[in-house]
Amino acid sequence: MSEKVGVYVCHCGTNIAGVVDVEEVSNWAGEQPNVVCSRDYKFMCSSLGQELIEEDIKEHGLTRIVVAACSPHMHEKTFRGATERGGLNPYLFEMANIREHNSWATTDKAAATHKAKALVNGAVERVVHHQPLEPIPVEINPATLVVGGGIAGISAALELADAGNHVYLVEREPSIGGHMAQLDKTFPTLDCSACILTPKMVDVEQHPNITLYSWSEVENISGYIGNFNVTVRKKARYVIEELCTGCGICEEKCPRKVVDEVFEAGLAQRKAIYTPFPQAVPKYPVLDPPNCTYFERGKCKACQILCPTGAIDFEQEDELLEFPVGNVILATGYDLFDSNRIPQYGYGHLANVFTSLEFERMVNASGPTDGKIVLRDGESVPQSVAIVHCVGSRDNNYHEYCSKVCCMYSLKFAHLVHERIPEAEVYNFYIDIRTPGKGYEEFYNRLLEEGTHFIRGRVADVTDAARLPGEEGKLIVQAEDTLIGKQRRIPVDMVILSAGMEARHDSQDVSLMFGMGCDFDGFFTERHPKLDPVATMTEGIFIAGACQGPKDIPDSVAQGAAAAARVAGLVNQETVMMEPVRASINKETCSGCRLCNDLCPYNAIVFHEDQKLSEVITALCQGCGTCVAACPSSAINGAHFTNEQVFSEIEGILWDVMEHQAVPA
Amino acid sequence: MATRPTFSEEVANLMHSSHGNPLNTCIQCGTCSGTCPVAEFMDHTPRCLIGLINANQKEDVLDSNTYWFCASCFHCTVRCPSEIDISGLMYSLKRYSIWKHHYSDDAIGPVFSETFVKSILRSGRSYEPVLAPSYIFSYGVREFLNEAHTATNLMLKGRIPVIPPKLKRIENFKKMADRIIPMGGAK
Repeated sequence: MSEKVGVYVCHCGTNIAGVVDVEEVSNWAGEQPNVVCSRDYKFMCSSLGQELIEEDIKEHGLTRIVVAACSPHMHEKTFRGATERGGLNPYLFEMANIREHNSWATTDKAAATHKAKALVNGAVERVVHHQPLEPIPVEINPATLVVGGGIAGISAALELADAGNHVYLVEREPSIGGHMAQLDKTFPTLDCSACILTPKMVDVEQHPNITLYSWSEVENISGYIGNFNVTVRKKARYVIEELCTGCGICEEKCPRKVVDEVFEAGLAQRKAIYTPFPQAVPKYPVLDPPNCTYFERGKCKACQILCPTGAIDFEQEDELLEFPVGNVILATGYDLFDSNRIPQYGYGHLANVFTSLEFERMVNASGPTDGKIVLRDGESVPQSVAIVHCVGSRDNNYHEYCSKVCCMYSLKFAHLVHERIPEAEVYNFYIDIRTPGKGYEEFYNRLLEEGTHFIRGRVADVTDAARLPGEEGKLIVQAEDTLIGKQRRIPVDMVILSAGMEARHDSQDVSLMFGMGCDFDGFFTERHPKLDPVATMTEGIFIAGACQGPKDIPDSVAQGAAAAARVAGLVNQETVMMEPVRASINKETCSGCRLCNDLCPYNAIVFHEDQKLSEVITALCQGCGTCVAACPSSAINGAHFTNEQVFSEIEGILWDVMEHQAVPA
Repeated sequence: MATRPTFSEEVANLMHSSHGNPLNTCIQCGTCSGTCPVAEFMDHTPRCLIGLINANQKEDVLDSNTYWFCASCFHCTVRCPSEIDISGLMYSLKRYSIWKHHYSDDAIGPVFSETFVKSILRSGRSYEPVLAPSYIFSYGVREFLNEAHTATNLMLKGRIPVIPPKLKRIENFKKMADRIIPMGGAK
């Protein structure tokens, strides 16, 4: 029996044809065994290109199709569709990637053409052994897990819930709100951050379709698109939520004060039992055992004694909750760059050097200083402020990327200083002012008019070592003013470090748990940087907000809503078609050694004691191939990746070396 | 046909062995010049010098005193966000300007450098009692006598070694120097 293979080599404009001699590849492929027709075409993915395949199947009676073009991630679906419309099973198609794996990776035309031949030949040899397969329908659980209750997670959860789907929102901190809850004003419109955020937080709390788990973390997730099984650790609050009215007496009466490193960025104290801020959602406080007098010494219990509803429970333990969901949206946000890592900026040893988040808390009307801008002593009002841009960003020693938001929030800081201390001088030290966004450049112009001093030069040193008259008792910011080409030393009272955004410290662990990718900087990798920014390479897992890369509030909100729309689309379909790439065990050759049982990462293999045989449960199998490789008696077959198919492809790719030696049977 | 390299290509060649990034990765942020302890004495700041090199302004670069004032403290190299070896660049330009004899007559850097290198090539190690006189002597007899007095005192207190340090197998060292010094090496 011989198959009739059709080969199509795509030019992809000049993306492939600029490097690979497509005509030669196509002519050469035409001479290979089994190949009946071989063509090259400018854009195979165009409707004309697809029609070419359909017509050839009918005209030449083709039984197998090979397209040599881009990555299967881009167009495998397209060409499977064309194959199906031509009347063949879509799995009788194979794609050879001669763009990402070839023409984009080299400028050597001869080598690229040679490699293209090898890849095409491999695909031709492989496709002959393809078998017709049918996709497997999988039902989608309409519930969705949203991880992270910042503004991105909140918008995703609300969009989905409003569309009538159930959402589990899991937040690590005692309250949702994320970094946005810590801010005072938002650029460029100077809206009050809390005023626009808290209504959304309340919506989340009251929405009948949202189950909120705050002070909780995802412990484990298993399964696949449509059918994930999530385990959430609900950390002990030591407060019985059903009884608590959120009156705040416990917090008021608690005798123990500790520095609030999280919400107040270390600028203020909180109690050992606390709600991070007045508008916190949920309103229930959290008790912090390492700092609680009762947990330390065994007595106190002031909160329990004084609680009017008896809601304090010192015996409470962590709870593990398990529930199924169909899709997951990760919106885990960012960490602020640790300014201690740049010693020459003096953070940590010069008192009046502040980080941006500390300054945000300071100017916040409900913050530790009630919105007054004061030095570390809590009284003196600074008469001159330096704002240092690009702290930890645009620097190969720390983070190479631009953090995108720092320029705008630095401008906002300058404006707030002008507003609160009209006589103060404000210096912005910048490399480039980056204001791409609606109304952003106008905000920059406004600051220029307000009289902020802009000094183009990255700050080299912040020191208290006075050298010139007028520098005593001040912080001296040393930088080159690159526009005049001179080194300048500017004495100021206060320095604000505009620290950049970095990935969460545990983002790698999170990406491993959810089985999706994360780049060198720790940000989660999207499926396609332009066309699929909220999906990931793992079906059913979506990302939104600053966990994907530095992002401001409007972008985070947009991504949250976009991820929600993607999930809602899947939920509306009710079923998705899964690739029929599954393992199956040949009962004749299975020796019942049970090696595969423990290796399967999806627990998809069961062992029948009575027959002494293993069997793959098709619905659970993800087609990873671990068992296929491990089986000592080669009894397991991975559909679409059979030994025959894989070895023929290898032999095909190695055609130029195989010719000289006998092919082992 | 081979074309004549531009000035920025010449400088790139001079910095071939440097571990830093090429000069065209400079983002002109000014960290080097802000950090530099001697920037105020330079006629162009180090950042400006890189800008001039990238713009192929050869005359302006070679006429500049910037690289002769460099104190080799390496602050700029350590802090450069683009990881450019700026101190290495300063050395490259010193070598280039001596090689091409392109420096102003009143510059003291080239004279000292040449004296220093010659002294090193002779014995393999720096030896002040030979280095200092031969350098100062090039400025005249009076300067030489002034400094001789100080030097005698230093020597009596043991701050200057009396016996010159030596290098084993100096021939091998000289062969090595021949390979790396464009001026014709130790000859």
